[in-house]
Amino acid sequence: MSNAQWVITVGEGTCGIAAGAPEVTELLRKRFPEAEFKSVGCVGMCHREVMVEIADGEGKTYMWGNLNKKNLPKVIRFHRGEAALPKELLIRSSEHPEVEGGEYLTRQTRIALRNVGQLNPTSMAQYKARGGYAAIEKIIKNGMTPEDVIEEVKISKIRGRGGAGFPTATKWGFARGAPGDLKYLVCNGDEGDPGAFMDRSLLEGDPHSVLEGMLVAAYAIGASKGYAYIRAEYPLALKYFGMALEDARQAGYLGHNILGSHFDFDVKIKEGAGAFVCGEETALLASIEGDRGMPRLRPPFPAIKGLFGKPTIINNVETLANLPWIINNGGASYAAIGTEKSTGTKVFALAGAIARGGLVEVPMGVTIRHVLEKIGGGSATKRPLKAVQMGGPSGGCIPEHMFDTLIEYESINATGAIMGSGGMIVVDSKTCMVDLAKYFLQFTQNESCGKCTFCRIGTLRMKEILTRICDGEATLEEVDTLEEVARTVRTATLCGLGQTVANPVLTTLKYFRHEYIAHVQEKRCPSGVCKALIHHTIQNDKCSGCSICQRYCPVKAITGTVKQPDTWVIDQQVCINCGMCAEVCNPDAILAA
Amino acid sequence: MSTASLEAVVDPGKVQGWINAIGSDPSAAVPILQAIQTEYGYLPRKAMNLVVENTQINASQLYGVATFYAQFRLKPIGRHLIRVCHGTACHVQGADRLNTSLRHAMEIEDPKQDTASNGSYTLENVACIGCCSLAPVMVIDGQAYPSLKGADAQRELLKHAREHNEILAGHDAQE
Ligand SMILES: Cc1cc2nc3c(=O)[nH]c(=O)nc-3n(C[C@H](O)[C@H](O)[C@H](O)COP(=O)(O)O)c2cc1C
Ligand code: FES
Repeated sequence: MSNAQWVITVGEGTCGIAAGAPEVTELLRKRFPEAEFKSVGCVGMCHREVMVEIADGEGKTYMWGNLNKKNLPKVIRFHRGEAALPKELLIRSSEHPEVEGGEYLTRQTRIALRNVGQLNPTSMAQYKARGGYAAIEKIIKNGMTPEDVIEEVKISKIRGRGGAGFPTATKWGFARGAPGDLKYLVCNGDEGDPGAFMDRSLLEGDPHSVLEGMLVAAYAIGASKGYAYIRAEYPLALKYFGMALEDARQAGYLGHNILGSHFDFDVKIKEGAGAFVCGEETALLASIEGDRGMPRLRPPFPAIKGLFGKPTIINNVETLANLPWIINNGGASYAAIGTEKSTGTKVFALAGAIARGGLVEVPMGVTIRHVLEKIGGGSATKRPLKAVQMGGPSGGCIPEHMFDTLIEYESINATGAIMGSGGMIVVDSKTCMVDLAKYFLQFTQNESCGKCTFCRIGTLRMKEILTRICDGEATLEEVDTLEEVARTVRTATLCGLGQTVANPVLTTLKYFRHEYIAHVQEKRCPSGVCKALIHHTIQNDKCSGCSICQRYCPVKAITGTVKQPDTWVIDQQVCINCGMCAEVCNPDAILAA
Repeated sequence: MSTASLEAVVDPGKVQGWINAIGSDPSAAVPILQAIQTEYGYLPRKAMNLVVENTQINASQLYGVATFYAQFRLKPIGRHLIRVCHGTACHVQGADRLNTSLRHAMEIEDPKQDTASNGSYTLENVACIGCCSLAPVMVIDGQAYPSLKGADAQRELLKHAREHNEILAGHDAQE
């Protein structure tokens, strides 16, 4: 080791911490007491957490992944020159161009995520060093009028990233034109889709970008007060966004006469309290006002009559994070990316049966297959992929044979799914599509605010029928009833929740009707998931007689003699089909069918 | 120890402190309740009454809000809180098995019960904690445990119990 200053950078976003970053850092600090340690947000390669980059101060860099207490000594010994390169842990290195684990990142186009994982989210100085707050300075110092800002955003043709895809500039125009001295700008950080984390990564990995986006939007519509509604399940996002507000206030980017202009703006944080429907804009406003988060009938639209009765614009976190880039680089540069009607990039959160799960930002117009295979690395299991669920509970599934669909609003909508806010849950042959539809209906039935009858009763009816199908108790007529209820709920409900709640049912019926039929007619769950229709049995020819299944069976249904594979059986009278045995069985000897 | 003894002793001074800090108009309802729950783990009746008496928030609004949002609990919780994620990613990767194995270790059979009868742990389902690439996930007292199998969940819980001198009914021998 030379005397040059070593720099060790650790990814300490929520997923890095969950995967064990604090432990790894502690060990590294002990071994390299002289090194400078840096903490950055989640770069989005969640499948490689814990990630650490070690730079020796002389230009040599090594990015390591999948670190834990056990394998870390290998890396430490390597850096001390005591051991060979542990290649399996290396993601990329200046010294080893042949290792290209970084393609996950290099195949992306990062605009919204431009800083995530590149800087310490709690350091305003680092944000500024990467061009932060240049957009708001440009607006004010160049004397851009609000109309100029709206025009630039109009040229970019950016559409809201919160799900609905409404043109941002158009929406702003309504609020700009609305009469009234007091207007509000609200950042929607509720991220209700269970299984998505784009907004979390932005809020905790690059809070100043979101805040600067709020400044741009507030300036454009003439808002003097702002709220950031962030869900309580994201403690780190709440903390870092709060610190960003403090720092921005200190630096004069928030408050009165920002940068010497006549522009006043400040932001309060509102912590969400766990209600999916509060992501819907009118429900979100009701929640900020202190009420139950129940949607209101539109019109009047919030842009005219919103929070506390004042003109209000609600924008999604990712929409906001794109704005500084658009102002700095010009709307035309943004519009040059993507397709005619869907410009720019979109961030997706890849999870489920995917080899490389994490955050992905791609230009609009690439195919779903490109995202799942080229970037996501395809199936994480040996089993083939079956479908991808886009848009969470409001979205739908897209089957594998349609993975060549382009990622743009119109093409995705044509499949019956929606672009949504960016959740992509990838499933393989071991996921039952009927069970998945049931899961979503359970979720939405629970989350329906209950205000309108079709949503309140319709979701319950759909959930009941889906439960009967999964239990093997339904008839074919009920499948038709399910479809009918789904179509009715879609057209007769008040808010976006009700209008989209049937999408998971309708798309699974459209693309996987055969799975429904198998449950109803053959009383069979082809994926081996629905408990009422499966039995767990031991295939003695594959069994090794290790007894691990017995130890983990919660109901003591398994008996046998150690090292005698032929003796092992599951008592069907006792078994509750929880599947714990199949999960721990090494030789994969337990069959669920 | 019974769950009855988990009832919190409410300090009126503290409740008034939150009201002073947050505000007493109707829009303060959610943050005040959040402050109360952060302190006591649930919303004690006495604290709720104090809010109604000392703010412009009336009882129907306050209870309406407290029962609408999934975050709020009206019953006391155990000494430790286990939150199992049931977001989509966790669901398709076997979150149900985490509940089965944890409930078994805590010896809870009644599906409506969520706190071990000795008051040690409370089990709660949540809708996604945002590390979906590490599914399925559970969180015990704020610390996340990633990529769990059903059996791992039980093992981590047993370890946690040992470190915190808690006894798990389903595992009296603490094997
Ligand atoms: C049930 C439901 C849930 C929603 N959840 C979210 C959410 O979590 N985050 C979000 O930004 N938008 C959500 N939306 C969309 C918002 O209503 C709104 O369209 C969006 O925040 C506007 O911002 P944008 O124009 O920048 O996309 C949801 C809509 C519905 C109907
Ligand atoms: S689905 Fe469990 S963490 Fe997101």
